Amino acid sequence: MLKMTHLSKVYRTEVVETYALRDFNINVNEGEFVAVTGPSGSGKTTFLTIAGLLETFTGGQYHLDGVEVSNLNDNERSKIRNEKIGFIFQAFNLIPDLNVFDNVEVPLRYRGMKAPERKERIMNALERVGLASRAKHYPAELSGGQQQRVAIARALAGSPRLLLADEPTGNLDTQMARGVMELLEEIHREGATIVMVTHDPELAARAQRNVHIIDGQVVDLAEDPRFHQAVHAARANSPA
Amino acid sequence: MDIKPILSALRRHKAGTVLIALQIALTLAIVCNALFIIQQRLAHLSEPTGVDEANTFVITNEWVGSPSSQRADAMMREDLRVLRELPGVADATSSNSFPLRGGGWDDGIKLTPDQVKDTSGAAVYFGDDHFLNTLDIPLIAGRNFRPEEITAMDVRDRLAPPVAIVTKPLADKLFPNGDAVGKTVYFVGNPTTIIGEVELLQSQSVERWASAFAWRSIIVPKRLAVSLGVFYIVRAQPGQLDAVMRAAPEALFKSNPRRIINDDDGVQSYATIRAKAYEGDRGMALLMGVICLVLLAITAAGIVGLTSFWVGQRRKQIGVRRALGATQKDILRYFMTENFLISCGGVLFGALLAIAINLWMVTRFEMHRLSLAYLLAGVLILLLLGQGAVLAPALRASRVPPVEATRSV
Ligand SMILES: Nc1ncnc2c1ncn2[C@@H]1O[C@H](COP(=O)(O)OP(=O)(O)OP(=O)(O)O)[C@@H](O)[C@H]1O
Ligand SMILES: [Mg+2]
Repeated sequence: MLKMTHLSKVYRTEVVETYALRDFNINVNEGEFVAVTGPSGSGKTTFLTIAGLLETFTGGQYHLDGVEVSNLNDNERSKIRNEKIGFIFQAFNLIPDLNVFDNVEVPLRYRGMKAPERKERIMNALERVGLASRAKHYPAELSGGQQQRVAIARALAGSPRLLLADEPTGNLDTQMARGVMELLEEIHREGATIVMVTHDPELAARAQRNVHIIDGQVVDLAEDPRFHQAVHAARANSPA
Repeated sequence: MDIKPILSALRRHKAGTVLIALQIALTLAIVCNALFIIQQRLAHLSEPTGVDEANTFVITNEWVGSPSSQRADAMMREDLRVLRELPGVADATSSNSFPLRGGGWDDGIKLTPDQVKDTSGAAVYFGDDHFLNTLDIPLIAGRNFRPEEITAMDVRDRLAPPVAIVTKPLADKLFPNGDAVGKTVYFVGNPTTIIGEVELLQSQSVERWASAFAWRSIIVPKRLAVSLGVFYIVRAQPGQLDAVMRAAPEALFKSNPRRIINDDDGVQSYATIRAKAYEGDRGMALLMGVICLVLLAITAAGIVGLTSFWVGQRRKQIGVRRALGATQKDILRYFMTENFLISCGGVLFGALLAIAINLWMVTRFEMHRLSLAYLLAGVLILLLLGQGAVLAPALRASRVPPVEATRSV
């Protein structure tokens, strides 16, 4: 589904060159649920933005669904984002001027979907996240957890095959975070590929696979005992 | 296009939206009416006099020493002889006034002697047998004056012309059947027989007070022999105007120095006369045009300003939209459509306002009713202006990168 080889990303400013990613290799299979962890500034968000075609990269290769994406133009990239990828951001990123219904509708409109189908998909997606009754509310009238669930509904409505989530629970308390995580797991069970960046070892432990990034590179988890300890501790603490 | 979500988003930005829509409405209302007034002035500006203006000029001749009427007439006839013999002159005549002069004599014409109300007003021109030829106005019916029909007239004399020539608009007003020639009309209480008809001779003034008889003129076979002075109208041969305008006063002074021909405006070409006659109209049109341009510029600046502000404010959500699959074109279209919707609201209200202003002016200043074409033109101008003004900020918005969605503010 998602395959990066020897990928690098350099941010150039007037004074410095930052290697956000270097010789970055990853392979995520169709239907996998991958949790990405790593210290702050290690390049997790950078990886997700490149994976989600929000940004271009400096070197190496990236195949998404078998297509080498560096050859795509802006319109083609927009189309792939719209049809294949769902985004969930840490800061929810709902459009404040639009109510819940209209927010979920945004990607569907860009897909050129007819109104009846849009409506059906929106209501289905809102029902799944348990917010069908809030369709006419504005983001400012919702709690953080509710906003994130709207964002998930927005990502879901288009039935994307790849869901990219950047610390989706980072702004939520434990209770709400658990709810969001359960939703993601449910979506995963229905066949979506999910890549989720998280700081929370407990959440990371619930994913099928963990990828650890340090200094812009994927490190083999087997060689990092600290992480094993953290995962172990989390598993021991969790009620399940 | 996706109008509904744009409208609902606008509802959350009422102040800016209403302000710009109002500005557009006001601009439309003023621009429509101003353009309409400009057009009316300009149409007025190019109305023909009937005179061969390219080759014709007018000399304002004042006598020195208050000569008697007979003496003035003799000097005037001698002047006309001198002028007609001058090389490059096609013909010359004398008159009490001339088209575009700004003022002159007008009077009422009746069909019967005891009629109370005039059948028509008319501009009165004095002319001899050379008058029509000098102005280059062809007869379309009847005949010209004969030399023996021309008489001199002092201010104290009663105007009692036995014959007269009229313009077609006057003839048609008096005799709608088109058989004016040979008919008798009553003019200052005297019977006058119409002997000829010309197509076109504008009245002396283009001001509103003269508009009732703008094209209704009557020419009487008279020379104005008064101690004050007289106008000589001279038509030069093609290409000779400048030379004749210089030579004519010299020749007149040489033949008889007892006169004043003002250095500044004693000798005026018809181009000058026309420019002076319409100075007010032209100034008004220019002023209105400048007001329109300034208003349009302010409105465009307002749109650019507000849209730029909104684009800056919405960078994050533009990034989110891009992340969710919007193309650059989608973003561009969003802002163009948004402006179009605001403009539509503005022009709708503005059109009503324009009509209201016009109706007020119709009752207040005898303006004409605003024609629909001007309203539509104004609407189109403002819609285009809006789209043009919004283009630059909208393009800037379309270039916001999708990664903006992930940046924390
Ligand atoms: N637009 C940018 N310009 C310059 N440098 C950048 C830019 N975005 C990221 N970086 C740098 O790239 C590196 C990786 O950043 P990134 O945001 O991917 O880290 P992260 O792992 O997501 O961190 P966090 O856990 O704090 O979110 C950092 O050193 C950061 O300073
Ligand atoms: Mg990050």
